[in-house]
Amino acid sequence: MTSAEIEFIRKVQLFQDVEEPVLRALWPSFRERRLRRGDVLFRTGDPGEELFLLKEGSIVVSKPITGRVEQVLGRIEPGEAFGEMSVFGDERHRSATCQAEADSLLYSLDRDSLSRFIAGNPQTAARFFQHMAQAAFKRLRDSSDLVAEVTRWGLEATGLDVEH
Amino acid sequence: MSQAGNKRVEGRPKRARLELLVRQEDGDGFKVREIPSAIAYLQSRPQRIPDAEWELARLPYGAQGVVPYALKNRRTEQIIQISDAEKFLWEQMDGRASLRDIGTTYLLRYGSFNFEIIPTLIVKLLRADLLTMRPVSRLRAVLARNRRNAAARAMEGTLHALERLTVTSRRAHDVFARLYRYGGFLLFTPWTVLLLMVVLALGAWSGLEIWKDLGQVTHGLAKHPLIAILLVKAVFWLTVVNHQVIHALACVHHGRRVREFGFTILHGFIPTFYADVTDIFMASRRARVVNAVAGPLFHLFLGSLSLWIATMLSPGLFQGFLVASAILQLQSFFVSLYPFCFLEMDGYHILVEWLGVPTLNHDAVRFVRESLWSRLRRLDSLSRQEVVYVAYFALSLVSVVALVLGTVWFLVYAGEA
Repeated sequence: MTSAEIEFIRKVQLFQDVEEPVLRALWPSFRERRLRRGDVLFRTGDPGEELFLLKEGSIVVSKPITGRVEQVLGRIEPGEAFGEMSVFGDERHRSATCQAEADSLLYSLDRDSLSRFIAGNPQTAARFFQHMAQAAFKRLRDSSDLVAEVTRWGLEATGLDVEH
Repeated sequence: MSQAGNKRVEGRPKRARLELLVRQEDGDGFKVREIPSAIAYLQSRPQRIPDAEWELARLPYGAQGVVPYALKNRRTEQIIQISDAEKFLWEQMDGRASLRDIGTTYLLRYGSFNFEIIPTLIVKLLRADLLTMRPVSRLRAVLARNRRNAAARAMEGTLHALERLTVTSRRAHDVFARLYRYGGFLLFTPWTVLLLMVVLALGAWSGLEIWKDLGQVTHGLAKHPLIAILLVKAVFWLTVVNHQVIHALACVHHGRRVREFGFTILHGFIPTFYADVTDIFMASRRARVVNAVAGPLFHLFLGSLSLWIATMLSPGLFQGFLVASAILQLQSFFVSLYPFCFLEMDGYHILVEWLGVPTLNHDAVRFVRESLWSRLRRLDSLSRQEVVYVAYFALSLVSVVALVLGTVWFLVYAGEA
């Protein structure tokens, strides 16, 4: 594991409090994955077995609405982790579609490796889950902002006046 | 994860935008489209409730210069008061005209635009349950509902593909402003009118001269039919671009803005270039007429010039090409200026300016479809406006039928020849 790779993993919020020896032990479990623009990483409803860290590029997150049209929920930027909902959540299926908006480089970590990491490092795992909860709260806030924005769009598009 | 939309400018929220990902039909390719709420609003088509469910009465009182009306929803018994201008807008809300169309109609009727009047009226009408809003394309809605049908799916795909062929530049105004500054202004001087008259006279004389040796001219073309057709078509396409450029320059000449310039598939099947010069509606009536006439006159100029040059050449492919191009240019001149064909081309715009009926096409079709037959059955006399509607509709119908029959006759005759 090179120092650049350690530096990258440390930038990812979930792993920022993991000690270097633990990180070095975990590193062989990461799989590198390259996507070209337009490649689908996973679709809504697919079984979810991996957590992803985006190193380069951009991933667009969307949810099907009708026909070939999907609502863009957001974008994953370099240094962000995603996909943890179906790895740790009750619902073990992907809740949205993730697709490369630009050529991208990712690292994936499967469920078994993550479970071993958590079981073997309970104190580090506590901080890992703390960061994951913070990330989840942020996403919840983003989602409620998006709901408000979509509602505002609907009101503006129809000219409906609900104040009077 | 960074979230889509929800951007603010200082103090006041920006218009909301929906960010949608639209997949291509084959494979995983996609495009992300931002749809501002304002666009959806302008494209919506307000439709008043059925005629039997409302009534309108003119009130005997009102502020000086204001004619008030009472509009009643018979079902809910709700009554709202509207002005004469709002009554005019109410009459346009038939579910076919978009808010953009209604705004333009209002502007042409009243000569100015109050940006608050339409949203205010819509809110008032919605509150009284007098209005429903429809999406812009009923055809697209029907196709979307019938996606299980292979034909509907194919048609939807074709329409989508044709829409994607549209190429637009919204920064065209600066280019046209420069073009105008560096020489385009010369087109709008008396010298250009004089030049046009001279070339027109030369073209008329040349036409008569060529007519005498028409056999030789057509022979020159017939020797190289494929090259001739391709050449004539290619040059004609270039002149279509120029027609639009002239409209755009006329718009700049009158101090208005060229909103867009681009290529599109008109009505889903006519490939054409276009310049959005709707800003000319804010200028004077004279400016609008000059704008409408400028494009067709360009065809007249080119047609006459081609005929004149052709007379100076010896028989052959090039002379034949010039004469064929001239015929196509003169045909375009007449077609552009002919107002009776249900298409709102240059001649139509001049006609509506002259008649003072900005929505003639729309109103005439509506009147004939919805009111004419019942009026005739009751032997009611028609007002002057209604006579204009019927005349426009009848002339357009006759013209379209004559064009179709003429084309069929020509094809049969040409086949036999």
